[in-house]
Amino acid sequence: MNTLSKNRLFQRNEFWLLCLLIVLSLTVGAVNGAFWSANNLFSLFKSTIVTGIFALGVFLVIVSGGIDISFPAFAVFSFYITVKFLLSIKYTGTILLPFLMSMTFGACLGLVNALLLSSFQLAPLIVTLGTGSAVTGFLRAFVGTATLSNLPQPLIDFSRWNIYKKTLADGSIVSFSGAFLILLVLAILIHVMMKRTTLGRGIYAIGGDEVAAKRVGFNVKRLRLFVYSFTGALAGIAGIIHCSLIRLANPRDLEGAEMEVIAAVVLGGASLTGGKGSVAGTLLGVALIVLIKGSLILVGVPSDWQKVVIGLVLITATGLTAWRSRRSDEGGRA
Amino acid sequence: MFRKVMATSVLLMCSLLLITGSASTAEGNFRIATVVKVDGIAWFDRMRVGVDEYAKETGHDLWMVGPAKADAAEQVQIIEDLIAQGVDALCIVPFSVEALEPVLKKARDAGIIVIVHEASTQQNADLIIEAFDNHAYGANIMKQLGEHMGGEGGYLCTVGSLTSKSQNEWIDGAIAYQKEHFPNMYEVAPRIETYDDATIDYQKIKEALVAHKDLKGVCGGPMPTSAGAGLAIEERGLQGKVFFVGTGLPSIAGQYLENGAIQAIQFWDPAIAGKVMNKIAIAFLEGKQDIVKDQADLGFPGFESIRQDPEKKNLFYGAGWVVVTKENVDEYNF
Repeated sequence: MNTLSKNRLFQRNEFWLLCLLIVLSLTVGAVNGAFWSANNLFSLFKSTIVTGIFALGVFLVIVSGGIDISFPAFAVFSFYITVKFLLSIKYTGTILLPFLMSMTFGACLGLVNALLLSSFQLAPLIVTLGTGSAVTGFLRAFVGTATLSNLPQPLIDFSRWNIYKKTLADGSIVSFSGAFLILLVLAILIHVMMKRTTLGRGIYAIGGDEVAAKRVGFNVKRLRLFVYSFTGALAGIAGIIHCSLIRLANPRDLEGAEMEVIAAVVLGGASLTGGKGSVAGTLLGVALIVLIKGSLILVGVPSDWQKVVIGLVLITATGLTAWRSRRSDEGGRA
Repeated sequence: MFRKVMATSVLLMCSLLLITGSASTAEGNFRIATVVKVDGIAWFDRMRVGVDEYAKETGHDLWMVGPAKADAAEQVQIIEDLIAQGVDALCIVPFSVEALEPVLKKARDAGIIVIVHEASTQQNADLIIEAFDNHAYGANIMKQLGEHMGGEGGYLCTVGSLTSKSQNEWIDGAIAYQKEHFPNMYEVAPRIETYDDATIDYQKIKEALVAHKDLKGVCGGPMPTSAGAGLAIEERGLQGKVFFVGTGLPSIAGQYLENGAIQAIQFWDPAIAGKVMNKIAIAFLEGKQDIVKDQADLGFPGFESIRQDPEKKNLFYGAGWVVVTKENVDEYNF
């Protein structure tokens, strides 16, 4: 029994990702001790919030056998319209309304994705490429192109919300952003949904084998509607958090974010063909990418080399997980 | 039969287009496109205001376009399309000087007038007009930053892209000024690249604050650094300990000027730069290119007495920069 669970542990993608994360942290820490300072660690955690929430959405879509590259556009659309509306009514209430609004916009846009997908049987890559660019274009043509920096007070207050804050001896401040809790809660929620409910099993099932899932009795169409709307809603939440944390509503923000997020999800062990992946793996993938991108100055990599280093580490990491999973597949067959 | 009708109608339409096209130029309506690095950011929104205003004043067909994201290949593509459309002149703000050389040569070979801004080393251009001498602009940033830092301590410079010519020349000018006037100051690390994205500015400056305990000043090249640095300094409670002076717009950095996180922002009015470029392009098309000469007055603030480069005869400088601090930030609405 004991040896069996041990073997399982070694076979798990998450275990190797965690090892990689620890090794990288130790390496960066060895080069520059400041890596382990609370300031740096808290700031790395803060950097995972937005990418992490996006990644949870993309994880769902990828597990269901699809792909979504429209979510950054949806996020920008949702937060920009929300902010513009709240500014026009001079909103000063709680943070709840902005979140709810942005989330609803995102969910509705996600629903459009799902409806297009199911009614025309198109490839998700093409559909989401189309909706993403249409939404961006609509936003810039009809809503606005100006960056808004005078955000409604509740959003500014949210960006200053910390669950830990301390003034150091030299007068500088260390703080841990409260927004991290939102990522944490969402991650737990989605983990439970995927592992413990029929809904979650259905999503794994349609990603693994759609025909088989249908025969077992899953309503494929309805599951898809759910997955894309949910991913849209997550994009809306991530968007409003991003906008609040950087304290700007910039309609050309987050461009190219999809690549980084998809890379994180795939790195986390989700299979692009669907049916495979976990929340824990996704979060580890995000952590790995944030760690790499956020440690280059600490290690002293000059600007020209930063992209090279990011690319090389990504190739190595994905290569390692792919090689390892193929080996364990072969082991299973033998 | 059908095919024949189609072919004739297409031919007819083409010739109609040709006639109307040549007719419009005959009336003296020039078609001039202003192609900027990236569309939809506050900076170039302001330039669009200038271009649109000037179109109304002159009655010519003037408009502004740019890629949705800062990308050299996309800018080349836009210029290719404009050449195919047969515009009379192009006013260009290059994202990458080198990447544009071939396509600008093609434009000039096709008889299109090419006016360039923010790229003093461009080879294939009829005329290059700079708002100011780039080294002098950077030196003025460093002059203020050095005074705030008391002439001592480490500083860090940012550029949008390491291939962005003007921004790198500003930073060259800033560093040269520091070496001459503030010998006790030093760069903590080589200039960093932040891709004109406030989030990246914020994250990298926070990381640099951890990595370099001796960092006391930030010299910002691209506009978003003013917001990113402001947020990082405010969050860490480093007002009065770490200083920022650099390019910025009041609408983006106003809140940080007001709360003392940053000390001064410097800019030139992109609307005027847009008007000047178009004025010169029209002059060239009308055969009046000799209005652009050393000491000439182009009739816009900062361009009352332009200076010709002694070595490169088609390169001219204005002297139009504005410094905004807490005291005069209310005077600007863009």
